[in-house]
Amino acid sequence: MSQYIPDYQLDMVGEPCPYPAVATLEAMPTLKPGQILEVISDCPQSINNIPLDAKNHGYKVLEIEQNGPTIRYLIQR
Amino acid sequence: MTWQQFKQQYLVRFWAPMPAVIAAGILSTYYFGLTGTFWAVTGEFTRWGGHLLQLMGANPETWGYFKVIGLQGSPLDRIDGMMIIGMFGGCIAAALWANNVKLRMPQSRIRIAQALIGGIIAGFGARLAMGCNLAAFFTGIPQFSLHAWFFALATAAGSYFGARFTLLPMFRIPVKLKKVDKASSVKQDENQARRRFRIGMLVFAAIIGWGLLTMFNAPKLGIAMLCGVGFGLLIERAQICFTSAFRDMWITGRTHMAKAIILGMAVSVIGIYSYVQLGVPPKIMWAGPNAVIGGLLFGFGIVLAGGCETGWMYRAVEGQVHFWWVGLGNVLGSTLLAYYWDDLAQPLATNWDKVNLLTSFGDKGGLLMTYLLLALSFAAMLLWEKRFFARKAKRDEQLIAEAA
Repeated sequence: MSQYIPDYQLDMVGEPCPYPAVATLEAMPTLKPGQILEVISDCPQSINNIPLDAKNHGYKVLEIEQNGPTIRYLIQR
Repeated sequence: MTWQQFKQQYLVRFWAPMPAVIAAGILSTYYFGLTGTFWAVTGEFTRWGGHLLQLMGANPETWGYFKVIGLQGSPLDRIDGMMIIGMFGGCIAAALWANNVKLRMPQSRIRIAQALIGGIIAGFGARLAMGCNLAAFFTGIPQFSLHAWFFALATAAGSYFGARFTLLPMFRIPVKLKKVDKASSVKQDENQARRRFRIGMLVFAAIIGWGLLTMFNAPKLGIAMLCGVGFGLLIERAQICFTSAFRDMWITGRTHMAKAIILGMAVSVIGIYSYVQLGVPPKIMWAGPNAVIGGLLFGFGIVLAGGCETGWMYRAVEGQVHFWWVGLGNVLGSTLLAYYWDDLAQPLATNWDKVNLLTSFGDKGGLLMTYLLLALSFAAMLLWEKRFFARKAKRDEQLIAEAA
């Protein structure tokens, strides 16, 4: 069980890359510092872009959970 | 380490892209030495389009393009054909191991349209340039063929316009940001995961067995199939995506995949060089306007579609319906190019020289030239990355100032 409780959720199930990563980067600035965004994606390729992009753009990747076709990311502003 | 740990660590979890792309560079080098041809997929897909036309009663074997790339026999008699069957097998096995097969339906009609149209543009462009991200880029540059450099640079430019276009409002589905107060659960069905893993193992054993048996009668075809399995495992497990390498430099400033690809090529170049020194003839194509125009179209098309000829293969078997449309578009686009080839060939391609850097600059000169160009590309990418984030920091500062 996750030790973090997200404040917002972004459901990108069904959307192909690059849209999940782009939407994540657009959503992050709307959070307050310290708040956590949960991104749900079933685009497997997002594993190579969401965590790196979040880090490159100055956010903290708290958790990545890969469970079958669904990947869950927790990102803190 | 127990079997469960091994399975989780190496078969289920995604692989890091950097070592995987370098491994693909090494494997493609051995593939060239063992089979005499480079790792390529689009040419064979075009032949499949040709076979379909034959089934429908047309005579594509009389078209100039099929005389260039050949349409004899069936995929089972061709190195490219057996390699692709192995690649599909590797992709399917890898996707099943990780329970990563799921019917993912497109969320809107605009996605289907962009998949199909992008696929057609990319298929047409790739065949005009005589290769896709593989034969005219990742495995084309290590062949010392100048056309691959034309194609790579044009693809980078085309992907820039593709990235701008693909982020237009008409392609954006409104973002659904939802306030929540607890983490969501994404648990998978453990029984399904176990079943899928077993099926994946069966597919893996079957395709390896097929490759080994083929090796007794036709060594090159068997080797091609086994290498194909390796390529398939690598691209699916590490989600190697040439499209994202180009596209995401422009969109999010990420260069990780692009760096991996340049390093993969750098590793391959010296290996291909050694085979060429031993007498294996390199694959050289016309360095004409076809490579530049093809690259521009291809770069734009792959970004619009979301994946290239290599990328749609593993995504299609993962059940991403979007990429079934991309695949269909690719075959349509490449067949369209084959149809019009006789009119386009002379002015755009065949009147131009096939430039081999190893003959133009001499053996050592060509090798040094290739490494110099790779180093320059790497440096240009680092500069772009620096500029991208410097501009972003400036924008952020402005926003903060405006807010205050």
